[in-house]
Amino acid sequence: MVFKPTPASVTPEVNLGDAFVTTRVDAVVNWGRRNSLWPFPFGTACCAIEFMGMVSSMFDVSRFGAELVRFSPRQADLLIIAGTVTYKQAPVLRRIYEQMLAPRWVISAGACATSGGFYDCYCTVPGIDEIIPVDVYVAGCPPRPEAFLEAIWQIQQKISGEAIREQKAIGA
Amino acid sequence: MSGAHHGDHSHGHAAPARPAIQPGLSKERLREILESRLAAKTDSRDLRGTTVIVARERLRDAVLLLRDESDLRFDQLLDISGVDYLAFPGHRGPRFAAVYLFKSTVFTHRITLKVEVDEDDASVPSIHDLFLFANWAERETWDQYGIVFVGHPNLKRLLNHHEFIGHPLRKDYPCQKRQKLSVNDPMIDQLEARLKQRGYTVLEHGVFEPGTPMTYHDKAGAAR
Repeated sequence: MVFKPTPASVTPEVNLGDAFVTTRVDAVVNWGRRNSLWPFPFGTACCAIEFMGMVSSMFDVSRFGAELVRFSPRQADLLIIAGTVTYKQAPVLRRIYEQMLAPRWVISAGACATSGGFYDCYCTVPGIDEIIPVDVYVAGCPPRPEAFLEAIWQIQQKISGEAIREQKAIGA
Repeated sequence: MSGAHHGDHSHGHAAPARPAIQPGLSKERLREILESRLAAKTDSRDLRGTTVIVARERLRDAVLLLRDESDLRFDQLLDISGVDYLAFPGHRGPRFAAVYLFKSTVFTHRITLKVEVDEDDASVPSIHDLFLFANWAERETWDQYGIVFVGHPNLKRLLNHHEFIGHPLRKDYPCQKRQKLSVNDPMIDQLEARLKQRGYTVLEHGVFEPGTPMTYHDKAGAAR
């Protein structure tokens, strides 16, 4: 790249051409966040099989940048609860959520995680929003991989509208 | 036929040939043996006719007989379960029953033992020393039905969490009554026992920090 000396009479910005793009910090940060989601699958039942379908080649979630599945909550920013959660698991799920670094997003996939499903019994949590906050709910028993993709897409839409100044309060 | 080479042991380390399973005794004969030697009686509610009711005092004798007799050889305990006959149509007699399902890998026969126990003394002798599997099976049955297995070394809950009160498969447990767990059970005691059993020396007893007891929220986000 050749830099020409700028005449003193001309404002420097004019000569920069397309070497710079002006934007907002939020837009850049959100662009990075929404296109590199690292999911942590909390798969406890058949919904996790559909999650595998979404990740593998037929549906290929890497088209949306969320293919890097992590099995440590410290390396993930998208928690996908796919399956039934019992009260015995509830403190475990809560601890996993608390170990994730902010910003973090949560998808409640399928009927069981969302409402307890047909397990209207003594041992099942009737919806994981009793334990952790949820951003997107996915209907279905189990939901199709397309529905999982829709949830990822909705999370991306949600991230696009977020502002860095309004970071989520920890534990909110 | 494509499967013609299926039995070809050309790899040189074929497993020793397993003896074929022999035809076992008929269920009538099995019932006869148990009735004559252990004063058992046939359970008429079992339509297959393979269930016998034994007295609580004869249970361990019955299990030993089934396991060790040369023409019985019930060497597999498939499951231990419970029954709560509260509100069972037409039932008279003790409220609970512990059910033991046996199978033989030598013969083709099966048998089910049933021990009936009253509500105010719902206890059965443990058989954890006769079948290794009975250890967890008895824990599960106690957890779900509240039938105590006398002599069990570690009668803790297996399926439900440690803060659970009551026994959920009892018919008088309201089945939609949920019980929340606030602190996870780290099960350090069992881990240490397993390590010692495998020859390790536990130098420092780990202190598990359970954290603050977790809270639950209703749909509006308020703690409850």
